[in-house]
Amino acid sequence: MTNDIRTEVRIDAGAERETPVTDTPTEEQLERLEHRMAGGGVDVKSTVAAAAAGSPRRGDTNAIALSLEDAGVWYGQHQAVQGVTFDIYQRATTALIGPSGCGKSTLLRCFNRMNDLIPGARVTGKITIDGVDIMGKDVDAVQLRRHVGMVFQKPNPFPMSIKENIAFGPKRLGLAKSKSQMEEVIERSLRDAALWDEVKDKLDEPGTSLSGGQQQRLCIARVLAVKPDIILMDEPCSALDPIATLKIEDLMRTLAKDYTIVVVTHNMQQAARVSDWTAFLLAGEERTGRLIEYSPTEQLFTNPRDKRTEDYITGRFG
Amino acid sequence: MPRQVYLKQLSQLQDTVLEMGSMVDRAVDRSMAALLDRDASLAQTVVENDHAINALNFSCQNEVIALITQQAPVARDLRLVVSVSAIMTDLERMGDHAEGIARIVIMMQDEPLVKPLIDIPIMAGHAREMLRDAIQAFVEQDVDAAYRVGARDDEVDGLYDRIYRDLIQVMIGDPSTIEPSTHLLWVAHNLERIADRATNIAERTVYSATGNLPQMDVSSY
Repeated sequence: MTNDIRTEVRIDAGAERETPVTDTPTEEQLERLEHRMAGGGVDVKSTVAAAAAGSPRRGDTNAIALSLEDAGVWYGQHQAVQGVTFDIYQRATTALIGPSGCGKSTLLRCFNRMNDLIPGARVTGKITIDGVDIMGKDVDAVQLRRHVGMVFQKPNPFPMSIKENIAFGPKRLGLAKSKSQMEEVIERSLRDAALWDEVKDKLDEPGTSLSGGQQQRLCIARVLAVKPDIILMDEPCSALDPIATLKIEDLMRTLAKDYTIVVVTHNMQQAARVSDWTAFLLAGEERTGRLIEYSPTEQLFTNPRDKRTEDYITGRFG
Repeated sequence: MPRQVYLKQLSQLQDTVLEMGSMVDRAVDRSMAALLDRDASLAQTVVENDHAINALNFSCQNEVIALITQQAPVARDLRLVVSVSAIMTDLERMGDHAEGIARIVIMMQDEPLVKPLIDIPIMAGHAREMLRDAIQAFVEQDVDAAYRVGARDDEVDGLYDRIYRDLIQVMIGDPSTIEPSTHLLWVAHNLERIADRATNIAERTVYSATGNLPQMDVSSY
C-alpha cells in the first residue's frame, strides 16, 4: 500500500466527485461548484418523495462510505465500545446519539484514528473504507485524516489569519500549485462553508476575531479545503447559540449533498433535523457502549424498533 | 421518573378524549331519545350543547400544538399526540351528526312516522357501542379491541342498506311520504357516519400503538 490513502482507499472510484485533487477542476466539478455556490440546498422534491416512500431521505444504500464490523474500543482494561456493526452511507448524514458515556464520541474518533493519540486505547474488529481496514498498520493516519476530516465541539481556529487558517492544510499537502490556485481554494472553501460573504473583506484578520458560529464555520471551511470524503462532527453546535446552530445545521444539510457526514450530538432534535440515518448507542452498567438501533432517522424518531431507543428518545430513561 | 410534567400532559390529553367521547355519546343518546319521544325541547338541548363539544375540541387542539411546541414529543408519544388531534376532529364531527339528528327531530315536529322505529334504534345502539369501544381501545392502546370496532362497521352499513331499501319502498308506495321518509333516511345516514368515524378512531388507535395506519373498512357511503 502506498502512503497516499486516496489512491488505495478510494471511496467509490466511479463516483462523480472522484478526481485527482492536484489537477485543475474539471467542467463537471465546476458545474457542481457553481451549483453549490448558488446555494443549491436540499432537493425538496426528491426528499419529499423519498419520505413518502418511507425510505431514507438521502444516501444511496448501495454506496457505502465506511463500514464497521464488530468494532470495539478498549481503554486499557476497560472496554468502552463493543461489537458495533453497521454501514455508513455516502453523501448522507449519519447521527450517533445516546446518553453520556455510551461511546458515541469514542466510536466517532475511530473513523479517523484519533484514538491513536490516546495512550492505552485499542480498536478491535474492522473499520473499512472501500474495503481497506483503516486500522491497518500500513495506513498512514495523517493521510487518512485528510480524507476523513473532523470538526470539534469547540471551534478551534489556528492562531493565524482567516486566510491562513484555510490555506494551512492545502499548503502542507501541496494541493495548490500557485498563489491563484490557493486563492481559489480559500474562496471555494469559505463559500462552501457559507462564510465567504461575511469574511471576504477581512481575510487577513485573525480567525479568533470571528464570532463562535463563524469560527465553527471557519473550522468547517478548513476541513473542506483539503477536499475530504467524510466529515466527522463531534457535537459541532454545543458551544453555539441557537441562530449559529441553525446556520451550521443548514450548512450540514447542504454539505451532505457532496460529502458523507457523521455527527455526534446530544441534541436529539438536531439529530432528527439534520440526519438521514441515526445510530443509537447505549452502555449498560459495565459502561460498555453497544449499538442498539440503526435506522433511517424518520423511522427512528417516529417508530423505533427497539424499546430502549423509544425510552431514550421519549425521555423515559433512568 | 423523568419528565413528570410531560407525562402528565400526555395523560391529560387522553383524559380529554375520554371526556369528549362521553359528551358525544350523550349527544347521540339524547338525539335518539328525542326522536323516539318526539321531544323537540330535548332535541334543542342537543343542538345547544354542541357548542361545548366544539369548544372542547378547539381547546384540545391548542393543547396539542402547545405540547408539540414545548415538549417536542417523538416516537410513540408523537403518534399519540397526533392521534389525539385526529380523534378529537372525528369526535367533533360525530357531535355534529348528533346535532344533525336533533335538528331533524325539530324539523319533523309532529309528523307521523312512515314506519315503526325498529332498525334505526338498533343502528344507533351499534354506533354508540362502537364509539365507546373505540374510545376505550384508544385510552388503553388496545390494538385487538380497535380491530373489533372496525369489524362492526359492516353491521351498521348492513342496517343502513336495509333502512334505505325499506324507506325507498315506502316512498314508491306512497309519494306523499317522501318528505317524512327522507327525514328518517337522514337520521340513518347520520348514524352511519357516526359509526364510520368510530372506525376512524379505531384506525388511529392502531397507528398510535403500532405506527401502522390500517384501512379498516372502506365505507360505500
